[in-house]
Amino acid sequence: MITINNLTVQFGGVRPLDGLSAELRAPVVGLIGPNGAGKTTLLNVLSGFVTPVQGSVRMDDVELLSLSPRQRVRAGLRRVFQQEMVVEDLTAFDNVMAIADHVSTVVTAAGEVEAAIDFVGLRAVRDVLGRRLSLYERRMTEIAKTLVGKPKVVLLDEPAAGLNDTETARLRKVVAAMPDRFGVQVVLIDHDADLIASVCHETLVLDFGKRLAIGPTAKVLEDPVVRRAYLGTA
Amino acid sequence: MSMFGNFLLAASGNGASRNARAQQIALMSLLFLVLAGVIGATAGGFWLINLTAAYAVMLALMGTNVLFGQLGLVSLSQYALVGVGGWVSLWLFHAYKLPFEVTMLAGGLAAALVGVVWGLPALRFRGIYLALVTLMLAGAFQAFINAYNFPVGGTGLKRVLLDRPVIAQSDLAYFFYTAVVCLLGLVLVEAHRRSRPGRTWALIRRDPRLAVASGASIMLYQTWAFALAGFLAGIGGALLAGTYRQLDATGFGASESILLFAGAILGGSTNWVGTVVGGLLVRAVPTLLDSSGVPATVGLAVFGAGLIAAVLFGPTGIAGLFDDLVDKVSSRKATRKAKGEVGL
Repeated sequence: MITINNLTVQFGGVRPLDGLSAELRAPVVGLIGPNGAGKTTLLNVLSGFVTPVQGSVRMDDVELLSLSPRQRVRAGLRRVFQQEMVVEDLTAFDNVMAIADHVSTVVTAAGEVEAAIDFVGLRAVRDVLGRRLSLYERRMTEIAKTLVGKPKVVLLDEPAAGLNDTETARLRKVVAAMPDRFGVQVVLIDHDADLIASVCHETLVLDFGKRLAIGPTAKVLEDPVVRRAYLGTA
Repeated sequence: MSMFGNFLLAASGNGASRNARAQQIALMSLLFLVLAGVIGATAGGFWLINLTAAYAVMLALMGTNVLFGQLGLVSLSQYALVGVGGWVSLWLFHAYKLPFEVTMLAGGLAAALVGVVWGLPALRFRGIYLALVTLMLAGAFQAFINAYNFPVGGTGLKRVLLDRPVIAQSDLAYFFYTAVVCLLGLVLVEAHRRSRPGRTWALIRRDPRLAVASGASIMLYQTWAFALAGFLAGIGGALLAGTYRQLDATGFGASESILLFAGAILGGSTNWVGTVVGGLLVRAVPTLLDSSGVPATVGLAVFGAGLIAAVLFGPTGIAGLFDDLVDKVSSRKATRKAKGEVGL
């Protein structure tokens, strides 16, 4: 569970996050909002790349803001960047192993990597170099990377960007299965409202750095305020 | 899998299991030793000395390849670290008459230490700024060595020559000695490349944020790389001192570090083939041109033209062109295998 309390980020005169408070409890939480609403900034605060001017963020019982980015990773926080970051000259296996090196024990690392690769369905391309993986395979490699070394919370920033419908459907299944299989909570940013509606139990809507709505996804997406701000229809 | 298949994999760095990895390193060693054997059997006198120097320089190139090929860092002080290793090993020999192996290791360790300190700016700067800072460090070493020169074990005209290793007194034996140390260096680098440090370096090169988000310490692994690069350069310096049994300050200008980096680019910094090609380019080709009556400046111009060609047409260097060939052959093989025509 992630508890955000009165969180404010300030860049000069701009406040990408402005007094945000929210409790994210569901196994898969959606994070939506128009461009510039503060979604990626919130992820950056969670993973430690942006320091807020005030507020607190807790992951279960851990106060995240007092930890360095690396300590947060060790505490179980995982992140997939908006731009995919598969290393070109490492195999799919080694791309996942590269993070297991730092979050798993030497004894269990290889086994955890194999399990993650099997889970996301990349067995067939396990030994293929990053540069020869398709976009879908790269996205799935990125997800596999979040599943090694006792993860607690996985932050996914537009994992479906650039994928076709079939691929998005496969991604959806994998994301939906993550909480049961690995005991993680998933926070998912995406512009695809169908994807959010089908996989997220609960959704937080941001607009101009503030909380516009939070609650069960279906209810939130029907909210007239949300429809006006985000979906562009009154 | 065929021997040739293994060789291709070893060259392209496309390893899978631990067993295959060991096989690849074994094959690399075999090919490397065969090449050294051919050189030892055919070259003599002046050429043998020159090729020995080329092999010593290969150790410094390995360091450049770790920093540039693995981490994407442009360090232009690598040849100055060869000088540091050479200086320390000569000094220890003249002061304490220690055996060659001891002075060589000490030279490597000293250069590793200096390399770590010189690598500190890389925690702040990358790209052209790091290149400038490290070039200035190479310039500082040039000024130092021109003022104090290398230890010669005496004053005035009295010069004492460095003793080569007990087991490698003759030029030929010393060439093989250098080649074996060079191979040990290659194995050390390959072992790094194919394990935890290599994977972490790849993360840092891809994006430092990625490394942090993977829980890796950039400071630790980057410093480790500079230590390794310095160590290899220092060992190369000690071997170079053993080649000529002395060293002279005129050979250690800052420009040598640039030439070394150019050799790394031209050879290719992604695998061991590039290291061998680069070493020969930096040391043997200029001598070849020189001995066939071509002025040294023409040699440099050819080198420069080659560098431009490498940057424009094949950023991964000569070894990269080799990699591409391997890619084509192996993907064709894979396609045929998929069609059930051949088995690997």
